[in-house]
Amino acid sequence: MNLTALRDERGTLFAFAAAIALIIAGGIYRPSFVQPENLATLLLLASFIGIAAAGQTFVVLIGGIDLSVPWVLNAMAILLTTMSLGQNARAWWAVPLALGAGLGAGALNGLGIVLFDIPPVVMTLAMNGIMEGLVLGFTGGFTCAACNSYAPPAVVWVFTAKAIPGVANGQLVWGAIAVVVGVVLSMTLLGRRIYALGNNALATYLSGIDTRAVTVIVYALSGFFAAIAGFGLAAFGQQATLGMGDPFLFDSIAAVVIGGASILGGKGNYWGSVAGAIFLIVLRSVLQEYNIGEAGRSIASGVVILVALLLYGRQRTEF
Amino acid sequence: MNRSPAATRLRYFAAQNVPLLLSLGLFVAMVVLYIILFALKQSRLPGAFELLTTVNNTLSVGLAAIGQTFVVLTGGIDLSVGGIVDVTNSVAARFMQDSPVSIVFVSIGALVVGAIAGLVNGALVVYGRLQPIIVTLATLAIWEGIALLVLPQQGGSIPPVLTAVLAGTLPFPTWLPNSLIIAGLLVIGWQALRNTRFMTAVYAIGNDERAARANGISVARAKIGAYALAGTCAGAAGLYFAAANTSGDATSGTPFTLTSIAAVVLGGVSLFGGRGSAVGSLAGAFILTLLLNVLFFAGVNTQLQEFFQGLFLILAVVGSTLVRRSLQRAR
Repeated sequence: MNLTALRDERGTLFAFAAAIALIIAGGIYRPSFVQPENLATLLLLASFIGIAAAGQTFVVLIGGIDLSVPWVLNAMAILLTTMSLGQNARAWWAVPLALGAGLGAGALNGLGIVLFDIPPVVMTLAMNGIMEGLVLGFTGGFTCAACNSYAPPAVVWVFTAKAIPGVANGQLVWGAIAVVVGVVLSMTLLGRRIYALGNNALATYLSGIDTRAVTVIVYALSGFFAAIAGFGLAAFGQQATLGMGDPFLFDSIAAVVIGGASILGGKGNYWGSVAGAIFLIVLRSVLQEYNIGEAGRSIASGVVILVALLLYGRQRTEF
Repeated sequence: MNRSPAATRLRYFAAQNVPLLLSLGLFVAMVVLYIILFALKQSRLPGAFELLTTVNNTLSVGLAAIGQTFVVLTGGIDLSVGGIVDVTNSVAARFMQDSPVSIVFVSIGALVVGAIAGLVNGALVVYGRLQPIIVTLATLAIWEGIALLVLPQQGGSIPPVLTAVLAGTLPFPTWLPNSLIIAGLLVIGWQALRNTRFMTAVYAIGNDERAARANGISVARAKIGAYALAGTCAGAAGLYFAAANTSGDATSGTPFTLTSIAAVVLGGVSLFGGRGSAVGSLAGAFILTLLLNVLFFAGVNTQLQEFFQGLFLILAVVGSTLVRRSLQRAR
């Protein structure tokens, strides 16, 4: 690996190193913190951010941003529980339905952006509101009969059961997603087009690539991964709740940025976002060990992003 | 074709300000729609009370939107608006006592806090060479945390005098809301600021930062100034929101980030920078409030509000894009 490549991997390396340092710090303060069960729980919690961040990584790599993650995630989790009514017998069509709806919501984001030149911030912000309104309108703030349904046992099993002792299935799901996303980004035509689009949209267009199609695919993928993260969160808590997606606006973007991806596009990879997601969860949980409240944790999360940006997110000086 | 100079100038102004004119048109349309629906439901025309509540409900978002305008004009975006609103809202509710001295000092203090928050954003963007969207996402979390430290539980109190001054009406004529006068002063203030060297620099940066720099404009100073002004306006929004609600809440600012961006977009300000006016943003804030009123009188389930707001925002942007495209084709 040459030096430039190593330089591009700074984010991933820093985030992993910082996460490990934090785990050690937590372990020194309270040895129970480093017990395998606790670390496994942290990894499972990180997987939800990590899965949502997979979609955000795609979007950020083309130079876009997806602010609709919170309510797309929330809507699909609620769609899953209200359609399946907690029954495996209904899950076989409820799962694809909700995944498809997530994909569709994301694709609509992409279509609005490419067909009508709507800035991504505005389009995804509006989509977030649309999803929130639909969820609140249809559930009446959870007064509907189906709203108290549990996640289907099959979905719960996929995320929280331990097929291999000591490892939650959700971690394996995340691992599989990481491998697939990694391969798509680094070894496929789509991946190369995504980096090309993020680096120079005009040049990519002029070289005959259908940049509109790439954009729509990328936003659709973000909706798809938000839906999976929503499933995981619903499985973890047994039920879907209103507002469960709200932290994911910040967290999905934070994971991507801490992982060293450039918000301008074209630079970064999913391994960085994986490291960023783990780092965020470990940071919060260590702060909690030190009895630091919500206010302190919020400030720390913000400061960490700024530090990460100042370390490896600075633009080159002009002139 | 021969045209008088005045007509030519008018045509030129119209061509230059298509988005602003569209948003003012939308504002008028919303007012008319609101009045019609109100009259149908209530069998009378909206009066002084409706004017007061509408303007009061709008002004805090309007202030935040004016702040957002400065940053958006430079080609940036400020996601930390909601956090700054949280902080100054909490500061006002926590520290303000019922004495004239305290009211004046804490009010000024809230604005200064907002300005400092904006200054930090600007310094990080300019000297840190970082992207605005991600800097302000990070500082949003920081301001939100600080607000929780200042006011852990919602409550506190705002002196009735301040509420009367900011959200009441004049002693004479009593139908005229003070908030409408404040809105008018903001428009005048904007027009005065519009022709300063500072604002020329802000517009120039938004249109072409390289060219602005090459022409000797101090990009750093203008940008930081824009962020500081944005912070001050967001601070004023938090103060106003506390006064209008007579108490504080460290999380009440959350919606302001989104509504300020929505108002700016509805006001015809280009998110790519360099184009637009705070007058439009203020109109955008009014459009958002009127939309809620219209939905209410149309009997729409209030829980679908966000759905219609989002849909309306997209349709407004699409409509404006289509109008602009057809104008370009006609030219």
